[in-house]
Amino acid sequence: MNKVTTIHLNGNAFQLEESAYEALRNYLDNAARQLEGNPDRQEILADIERAIADKCRAVLGPHKTVVVSGEVETILAEVGPVQDPTEGPNETAGAGATSPGGQGGASSQSQGTGSPARRLYKIKEGAKIGGVCNGLAAYLNIDVSILRVFFAFLVFCWGFGLLLYILMLILIPVAVTPAEKAAAFGGGSPSTAGEFVRRAKQGYYEGMKTFKDKQAHREWKRRFRSEMRGWRSNFHREMRATTAEWSNCRTGAEPPPSGVGFGLTLTFLEVLGVAATLLCVYAVWSLFVHGSVFGVQLPAGVPTWMWIIILIFVCKMVTTPAKVMRWTARHGGSACGVTGGLCIALANTCIGVALMILFLWVLAHHGPEVHRVLHEAATSAHQAIDSIRDGWNKK
Amino acid sequence: MSINEKFTAIRKGLLEFLVLKIVSADKVYVADILKALSETEFSTQEGTLYPLLSKMRREELVDYEWKESEAGPPRKYYELTAKGREQLRETSEYWQKIVGTVKNLGD
Repeated sequence: MNKVTTIHLNGNAFQLEESAYEALRNYLDNAARQLEGNPDRQEILADIERAIADKCRAVLGPHKTVVVSGEVETILAEVGPVQDPTEGPNETAGAGATSPGGQGGASSQSQGTGSPARRLYKIKEGAKIGGVCNGLAAYLNIDVSILRVFFAFLVFCWGFGLLLYILMLILIPVAVTPAEKAAAFGGGSPSTAGEFVRRAKQGYYEGMKTFKDKQAHREWKRRFRSEMRGWRSNFHREMRATTAEWSNCRTGAEPPPSGVGFGLTLTFLEVLGVAATLLCVYAVWSLFVHGSVFGVQLPAGVPTWMWIIILIFVCKMVTTPAKVMRWTARHGGSACGVTGGLCIALANTCIGVALMILFLWVLAHHGPEVHRVLHEAATSAHQAIDSIRDGWNKK
Repeated sequence: MSINEKFTAIRKGLLEFLVLKIVSADKVYVADILKALSETEFSTQEGTLYPLLSKMRREELVDYEWKESEAGPPRKYYELTAKGREQLRETSEYWQKIVGTVKNLGD
């Protein structure tokens, strides 16, 4: 059973499943954005609406009154993304010569809005996992390797990288049609030096694959291998140096303090960590079974997976400082001590949270899907606060 | 890069010419144009065609009139204007020149 929304397209009423309505609204919003600055925008949108209405009518019959979301998706795929013929690279070639007068207004307007709309998409071509880094690299116009290293770094540092990656994997749409792919790169022509270098590099590697001259190919491969070897040995050397430093530190440090007070602190921290983890597990379990956490009914607007991520995040926020305190109490010696460890842990958490907020901010401002989710999250947060207040008042 | 990808820009540029040709033959509405193109390399969609037709109308190459259809609401039927016919003639000539060049070069 699904909720149904009634809409009117071009003067006719249609009943749509709610998810179908979302998809349709998204499509039309996108189309309107694409046609920004086009003098015929209203008319083209009306034409498109009419075409969609015709197709909706075709799937309905005397015993079928609701358009379901699968049908809307098929229809939208049939209609295809709206492409503005007055924009893009062939503007000068095609339209410029025929009517300089009619084009003037449109092109100056589109110049006013800046470069063609760049959008965040997952790009499957050449992707390692889900195309998130690939899409983000295209969006931010930087080399994809840098982003991959950054994500890997985040995963190892605070585990936030993984969380972030999964979030983006779910939220960011895949670039399927050529228009979406073009939007992922922000228009047809390489607009910045970074993009130009990226494309040139891609062409370079492509060219290497079909190298005719055997001798040169071998030479190139040899050089590539030796570079890789050099890089690897450098890496190993650095790793060894770091390990040596660590072990020096460990053996050089004073033996860990002992005593009743210290033992109690350690036990308390351990119990705290275990308790927080258990609470988190219990919360996730009750979320699944009762749909509520600790008796507080959660608002319906936010999906369950989102709540699970939030819960795990909160749990981590609580346990990480305790864990680091425990670790430093055991191994750190007197150099930094418990307070120092706590400070480091807090600083780490703060940096992690700041990065998280930064990423969410970037996504919210440039990814329509995320923007929508956050928008809804604000209203459901209000609802949650209201429900908590109601529960409190009843007591 | 496949041949298909290499010619993306060229196909896009030629679409206006082909629409002029289709509309010149008969009064048509968008579904007719889509159908005529669907079996060719130039197969396209409403999302591309409507903006193109609006642009062509603004350039006074085509015009449309509303006509009742037997099933459903009225439709826009497009036809060429005098300027559109002139443009079609010029484009056809130019196209012949291009085809000639491609054929003769390198032989």
